[in-house]
This record gives sequence, structure tokens and C-alpha cells, in this order.
Amino acid sequence: MSDSLGAVSKFEQLPEQGSQLAGDDVVRTSSPAGRRPKRRPQRLIADRRKRIEIAVLSGPAIIMFVGFVIFPVVLAAYYGFFRWKGFGPPVDFVGLENYRVILTDPAFHDVLFHNGAIVVLSLVMQGPVAIILALLLNRKFRGRSIVRILIFVPYVISEVIVGTGWSLMLQTSGAVNDLLQSIGLGAFRADWLSNPSIAIWSLMIIISWKYIGFAVILFLAGLQSIPEELFEAASIDGASYWQIQRRITLPLLGPTIRIWAFLSIIGSLQLFDLVYIIWGQYIASTAGVSTMATYMVANGRTSSNYGYGNAVAVVIFFISLIVALIYQRFVLRRDTAGALTERKK
Amino acid sequence: MKRNIRVVGAIALAAATAMLAAGCSSGGSGGSGDSGGKVSMSLWDNATTGPGAAFWKSAVKDFESTHKNVTIKIQTVQNEDFDGKLQTALNSGDAPDIFMQRGGGKMAAMVDAGQLQDLTNSVDAATKKAVGEGAFKSQSIGGKLYAMPQTVGPEGIYYSKDLFAKAGIDAVPKTIDELNSAVSKLKAIGVAPVAVGAKDAWPAAHWYYNFALRECSKATLDKAASTLKFDNSCWVKAGDDLKKFADTDPFNQGFLTTSAQQGAGSSAGLIATHKAGMELMGSWDPGTIASLTADQKPLPDLGWFPFPAISGGDGEPGAIMGSVGGNSCSAKAPKECAEFLNYLATKKSQEAYYKAFNAIPVNKEAQGLITESYLKDSIVEFNKAPYASQFLDTLYGQNVGNALNVGVVNMLAGKGSPADIIKAVNQAAAKG
Repeated sequence: MSDSLGAVSKFEQLPEQGSQLAGDDVVRTSSPAGRRPKRRPQRLIADRRKRIEIAVLSGPAIIMFVGFVIFPVVLAAYYGFFRWKGFGPPVDFVGLENYRVILTDPAFHDVLFHNGAIVVLSLVMQGPVAIILALLLNRKFRGRSIVRILIFVPYVISEVIVGTGWSLMLQTSGAVNDLLQSIGLGAFRADWLSNPSIAIWSLMIIISWKYIGFAVILFLAGLQSIPEELFEAASIDGASYWQIQRRITLPLLGPTIRIWAFLSIIGSLQLFDLVYIIWGQYIASTAGVSTMATYMVANGRTSSNYGYGNAVAVVIFFISLIVALIYQRFVLRRDTAGALTERKK
Repeated sequence: MKRNIRVVGAIALAAATAMLAAGCSSGGSGGSGDSGGKVSMSLWDNATTGPGAAFWKSAVKDFESTHKNVTIKIQTVQNEDFDGKLQTALNSGDAPDIFMQRGGGKMAAMVDAGQLQDLTNSVDAATKKAVGEGAFKSQSIGGKLYAMPQTVGPEGIYYSKDLFAKAGIDAVPKTIDELNSAVSKLKAIGVAPVAVGAKDAWPAAHWYYNFALRECSKATLDKAASTLKFDNSCWVKAGDDLKKFADTDPFNQGFLTTSAQQGAGSSAGLIATHKAGMELMGSWDPGTIASLTADQKPLPDLGWFPFPAISGGDGEPGAIMGSVGGNSCSAKAPKECAEFLNYLATKKSQEAYYKAFNAIPVNKEAQGLITESYLKDSIVEFNKAPYASQFLDTLYGQNVGNALNVGVVNMLAGKGSPADIIKAVNQAAAKG
């Protein structure tokens, strides 16, 4: 049917195409009544093809997701109920004992505190600096793209290289202390990595250095999407540069900032690789930089308490989930209303 | 129609699962095989560099040349990663056929899980004759042999004779007081007195083990292995001893972030480059140091003395900390695995082992080749010792052992008291 119509339309003059299409519509809506017996299998065939298409295209992804995300999560929850050394199937069922030990372990309270500090400090240290950098980089000046690239470079370098490099520089006999000595600031030499009251700040500086580029790129993208007209209108009304930034740019950058904060929080909660590379398998807790993830590895895999480690994984999962849900509910809701959540009525 | 869709979906799922399964199983060791056919085995060791790595290569080549049907694939795993990776491999049913065995509580856990081959009846006559009864005993549980001994490792303090001479230390320290005075003399010539790689935790903890060996009786050490209770007061006393020693500030700058074996900045590297005077370490240390000297040759002025005596204490004087190093066959390994382990105990292979690692071979005939003073001294002390104890982290298993190590590091970093070490250990016992 459509073939014949198409053939007809080819011979029609251009101006009449619109009416032709409208006519087509009329034909379509009216046709089922007359042609029901023949039409049905056709629709079903199309239906079936569509479903097969969906199955084939999404199948691999769903299998991967179930196999490598959902299934392990379920298994972790299962293993978490056992005292299990990791050999053979778990048999020593201990119920909630692992969870009781986790929640009463002072070392776990420490890591919660460290993670909390990293979450807050990441937001406080990176956010304002990144916004200022993004505002600066949004103006035109010579060498802007080079500065943009330079700021983004640390984010692209792998965590292992960043960790190794910084840990070599921050050793007691490393480059940073040598530099301080040679410029006459020898009094400021310190055990940057091993002094428990300094180590967390060293970590924060490394984290900020590494991830600030990501924040800047996000903010720059956000700035690009603010309509130029608003700035023009404001400057015509006599607003100063800072007034424009405060009254127009920042509020309109809000959604981007909130998304960045969300990513930063989740990243801080899951922080593992930098700490593991710089402080190794054992001494992160000594230096006061242990995180939930390093606690899990140290008390699970390294100590071969696989049951316990799995229980820790479940606790981390729930903590992250709760934080994420709270953030979604109270902060992100206004940005995602209608997209991720139901539209407000 | 719906059914068709389900069928298609099921087929897609089955195909994907099959692909996954195939992907997983293709990495298998292929350890099975009967004696007539081709046999391929995998071998895990921790010698990542230099002559040590070369030793394993040539040992495998040598064995393959007399056993034409056997191929052995070597996989080298960095020492700090070894235990975790091995555990994962054993648990996944994809264990290496031959692997380095640390013994103690770690071996006991593998035996409990049925992961190790009983080698009692696989030791051939030549090996039995050349290797001492004590070495076999240390690798046995319940009268069954689970690892073939390869090296004996008396622990002690390795030191630079040149630096000691320069500092005016005439005789090696025999007591803690003498050790303390050696420390201050070494400080006076501007070198770090004692190198310790506390980033890896266990090297610092070895100081605690040795104080515990002096403070606690053998019965106490052994009892803790089965009860994992550390209520004897000697455990805290050992911590006090270490605290007192650490308060003299004997360790290299930044020892908390110093690793034990990796690179010139590691504790072994500090000895190799004469930046530190001494290091408490197991018998693998000369080999590690040799691989970190500028010319990658053994350090010519390396010496050894046993851990100094303390006044008082329940431990018998002269008792020594140390390990017997060996290799195990996984439960599923073919019988050629045991043959290879017998080969490793032969005089020829043991002499090559000694040359590669600068460590003491377990084969007595091969020990005749030893010329280095530090090895000779340590063999003498080892044979004189009333008893030798496994390293405590090995003896007490990975869980308690790790907590013990970290507890010691915490104390050295000023984050806990000697009593806190014991508290941490008891806490760990609750987790496993």
C-alpha cells in the first residue's frame, strides 16, 4: 500500500506534497476498518520484529549487567552471612555477626570519619576554585585553550601514575622537602605521607589536583549553555561583571554544580586507588587516610576474611545508596523533575 | 508469538552465557594429563628480577629437557601481591600446579580446604637423604608433608661491615644495650642506623616478633597458634621492649612510607647503597640487596648477626626466628609436580638456588658451596639454636598475622600503645 502511494507521490508536484501527506494520513486511519483480517498478522510481524530487535540489541548489555553487577551484589550479600576463609563453599553461617563486628569496630568508625572528611573537603576545596577557574577560562584571552588543556591533563593521567609520582615527591627525603630546604623553608619540611595529622591533607591536595580539571570542564560546558542574551540584557541594564556572575551565571550554573557535587560525593565515598597506591596495603589506617574501600580490602582480601570482606562491601553499598538517594531526593530533584522522577502534579 | 520471542531471548541468553563460560574456562591451567601424554603445569614464584628470575627459568628448562612430555609455565607474582592472588586462584579452582609455600597458619588454611597435595610418599630417596628431618617436619601438618623444603631462612640483622667499621663499632652487638650504642655511633657518621620498610608492615613487625621470641617461651608461642589468644603478659612486654628501642629513633627517615624490597628507596635498597647500617630481615635479604646494588652484584661487605639478647624474658637464649621456604603442589596437580619438587631439592638445583638467591639451600650437600660470611654465620647460629620459630604472621595465619603487623606499625607511628597491638589482634580474631 505504501509502495503505491510512494510511487504516486513521486509524480506529484512539490507544493502539493503537504496535501498528499495529509491524504496519506486519512487513508491510514481509515484503512484498518476495511482491511482488518489481512492487517493483523502484518502488525504482529512488525511487533515481533521490534521485540526481537530489542532483545538482540539490549540482550548482551542486560546479560553483562546482570552477570557482572547484580549477580555479584547478590553473592556478596550471601557471603556476608558467613565466616569464610575463601576456600571452597562457605559453610560456617554466622548470621549478622559480621555486621555487628563491622559496626562496632573502631577502625571502621575511623574510615567513616575519613570518608566523611574527604567528601566535605573535596566539595569545599574543589568547588569554589573550579568555579573561579571556569569563569576565567570562559573569557577570551591568548593561550586559553592551552590553559584549559593543562588543567584537564591531571584528570586524564591514570591514578597509578599520579599516586606513584606524588608519593615519590612527598617522601621524607623526596623532592618537596628538598625544594623547601633549598629555598630556605627547611622549617616546613614534614613527613607529608606518614605523619597522621598531615597525611589526610596531602591526600586532599592530590585529590584536588587530580580531579579539579573534571569539575572545570563540567562547569565550562554548563557556562556554554547559558544564553548570551541574558548577559547582554544585564550589561545593557548596567550590571557589573561580578553582578552578572553572581545573579545570572551562578544560578544558571546550578544544575551543573549540583550534578558535579553528586559525582564528587560518590567518588569520595568510593575512593580507593590513590590511597592504595600511595600508602600500600597496610599502613593507610596508620597514616589516617584509610577509606571504606581500603578497609574492605585490608580486612577482607589481605586478611583472607572473605566473608567479612563481603559484609563490608554490603555496608559500603548501602551507605553509598543512602547518600545517593538522599541527595537525589533533596538536591537533584528540582533538576531531574520529570526526567528521572515523576513530574510534580 | 510470545513463545517465539521467549525462545529467541532464551537462545540469545544461552549463547551469551556459553560465550562467557568459554571465556572463563579457556584460561584454565590444563593441569591434568596422564603420564604418557603431554603434561603442562603452571608455576608461581615471587622472584621478579635478576638472578632469581633466571634461576626459575633455567630450572624449568633443565627439568623439561629430562621430562620431554612436560611443559611448565612460569608466572612471577610480586611478593606483596602473592598471597592475595594465590588465594583467589585457589578459590576459583584455577590454582597454579606448583607454587611457593609460606607455611604456618597460611599452609594450614590451604590444607583444611583440601587444596594441597600430600607429598609424604612422593619424596624420593636422594631428597630424603640430603634434606634434614627438621626441614620436613616444618612443612608437615599431622605427619603429612605438604610442601617440599627448598631453603632454610634463619632471620637476623644484616649489616654493612664498612659502615660499622667507619662508625667505630668493633664487635657485633650481642645485647640490646650494645645495639643501642651501635645505633648512636651510626647516627654520628650520618647514616640511618636501621632500615625498615614499614610500608609493607611485616618488616617492622619482625622487630616485634624477635622481641616476642625473647620474651615468650616456646610453649606460649605454640599455644597462641592454636588458641589465637594473646593473654600472656610477655606479648605486651615484647611491645614495651620495641617501644623502648624505637624511642631511640633508630629507623631511617620516613620509614613508615618505605617499602621493603622495591627500588633504591626501599629498606633493602638503603643497605645496598650504604645509606643505612643494618636491617632485620629473613635470609632472602642478601639476594634482594644484591639486585639493588649499583652493579647488581652481591654487596661485598655484608655481614650478619643474630638478634641480640635481652635481660630476662621467658624465651631460651639463642632461639632464632626463621622459616623454611618451600613449594607446594595444588591438589589437582599431576604427579609430575612432585617430580619437579624433587628435582628442586637435588644438589645441582640447590647449588644454583644458592647462587641465584644468596640464600641457604636446604640440601646439606649443596651447603658446602657457601663462602659468604653472612650465610656461614647464620648457619652456625641456626644449628646452635635450641629451637627455631616461624615468623609470627605466618604462624598465626593471614588474618591475625596482618592485624599484628599493622598493630606494630601503628605503635611505631605513635598511634597506639603496646597493649593496643594485642587489642587489635584480638579484634581481628573476631573477623575471621
